[in-house]
Amino acid sequence: MRRLLAGIAVGTFLVAASACGSSDGGGASDKNASSGGTTTVKLGVIPIVDVAPVYLGQKKGFYAKHGLKLSLTTAQGGAAIVPGVVSGQFQFGFSNMTSLMVAQSNNVPVRAIANGVASTGVTGKDFGAITVKKGSAISSPKQLEGKKVAVNTLKNINETAVRESVRKAGGDPAKVKFVELAFDQMPAALDSGQIDAAMVVEPALATVRSQGATEIASSLVDVAKDLTVAMYFTSNQYAQQHPDTVKKFQAATAESLAYADTHPDEVRAIVTTYTKIPAAVLAKVTLPKWPAGANRASIEALEQLGQQDGLFKTAPDLDKLLP
Amino acid sequence: MKRRQPHAGGAARVPNAVLGAAGLAAFLALGEVVPRLGIVKERYFPPTSRIAGALVDEIGERAFWTDLGDTLTGWALGLAIAVGAGIVAGVTVSVVPYLREATASTIEFLRPIPSVALIPLAVLLYGTELRSVLLLVVYASFWQVLVQVMYGVRDVDPVAEETARSYGLGTWARVRHVLWPTALPYVMTGVRLAAAVALILTVTAELVIGAPGLGARIAVAQASQAVPEMYALIVVTGLLGLLINVGARSVERHALAWHQSVRGEVAV
Repeated sequence: MRRLLAGIAVGTFLVAASACGSSDGGGASDKNASSGGTTTVKLGVIPIVDVAPVYLGQKKGFYAKHGLKLSLTTAQGGAAIVPGVVSGQFQFGFSNMTSLMVAQSNNVPVRAIANGVASTGVTGKDFGAITVKKGSAISSPKQLEGKKVAVNTLKNINETAVRESVRKAGGDPAKVKFVELAFDQMPAALDSGQIDAAMVVEPALATVRSQGATEIASSLVDVAKDLTVAMYFTSNQYAQQHPDTVKKFQAATAESLAYADTHPDEVRAIVTTYTKIPAAVLAKVTLPKWPAGANRASIEALEQLGQQDGLFKTAPDLDKLLP
Repeated sequence: MKRRQPHAGGAARVPNAVLGAAGLAAFLALGEVVPRLGIVKERYFPPTSRIAGALVDEIGERAFWTDLGDTLTGWALGLAIAVGAGIVAGVTVSVVPYLREATASTIEFLRPIPSVALIPLAVLLYGTELRSVLLLVVYASFWQVLVQVMYGVRDVDPVAEETARSYGLGTWARVRHVLWPTALPYVMTGVRLAAAVALILTVTAELVIGAPGLGARIAVAQASQAVPEMYALIVVTGLLGLLINVGARSVERHALAWHQSVRGEVAV
């Protein structure tokens, strides 16, 4: 028995060691796997509607056409994606603009290379909104002074956006009490009155809408018309060492974005393959915009608001960050 | 009164499994009734029957089994590494007095660090792969085993140890014939605790980092506003925990069958 136990222990050690070894080999070959004209790159994404174009682009063969094979790796958020890209675990990643600018201003070597997702730019018809419970007395962002407003991450893009909506409505954003809450928990929290308002994005926004909630502002639109919300990025090191791969990724992603933008039905279909959004909810989801290029003016506006709210230690260098 | 008699006299007659099943059934019934009565909202806490329906759908999906396999792989590998390393380190540290002194404060310093705090480190080192999960799982469950092994070794009867010495047994022989049998019950306790901790950490790591597995599946369901599916997957992790606990107990019973009887005689 004892011998058996010892044997099992040693055996699993070896398995673990060899498993590590083989995936190390995989990682190394990822970087130089140009044989046969196809390079495999790992792309870190969040399993949300926003990244539908890359799933669609891969299915449609846009990446294959440019000699790329995407290995899509889902992570739970920027917290895992940015360090993953910087440390070379992923070659590319998806992140919102504020996070990228914060990273850049902290000298984290990231470089945005391709557009990710943009707001629709239409007030009342965007994929993100400040919402209040059905029957709430709040009807304008100005009234959020002294109220509890939920954002998914404090000191990030959605807080900036809510602050701007409050400011534009003539209120003082400093008087808003921000609380951090995951998007998926916002509908219940709003419904039960734990929070007074929530900055929600799809698909939670569709759920909130189905509860009869009222949208009082399209905050992403308030920041800038056609705000570039998120982009695909890589590390400076990877960009320098593999300029060709980056170019291929840019070209294929631009095609994928354009295709997604004009084929909403196919987008909704592909979303069901990597999320569990119920069909009834998905049909009501407002899709974002996927322009092929980033809107620099909108990113500058986001940067200035971030500066104003003290998000950055030093001003991010957009010339270095943007493609 | 008549009913109480057999209960009080023959507590062992009602199998634990039956009691356990009854408790679970009551819990499930409560889960069905509470949302139906509107005490909590159905939308956020679906009744048992809807969760069961979602569970059936999940079981029908191939991706579910892949994810289950990923979780079990992470759990088993992590546990095996933690148990192996815990036993080797525990025995080594305990047998060498200097080492014990030298490591005591370090162990007490490292042990309470929550494994999830190491998530950024894990992602930096290994991205969202299995190895990230393993890092967290091994870190959390290693201490459970290590500390139990150290307690176990401390429990060795000095007379038996001295006797073995005077019979001229070498270090290895003493470890095998004196130390190990004494420590084994402690080791088994450590393994049982580690098995549960390893499962919790596997699912947590997948949930937070996004490494493939049941945890990541739960996170996707959460983000997708698929509430019944989310609870169905949570139920699966609960069932896994139950199975693992039953399994660990049976391993413990088998491994210590000789021991408990010996102990029993000595105690009487």
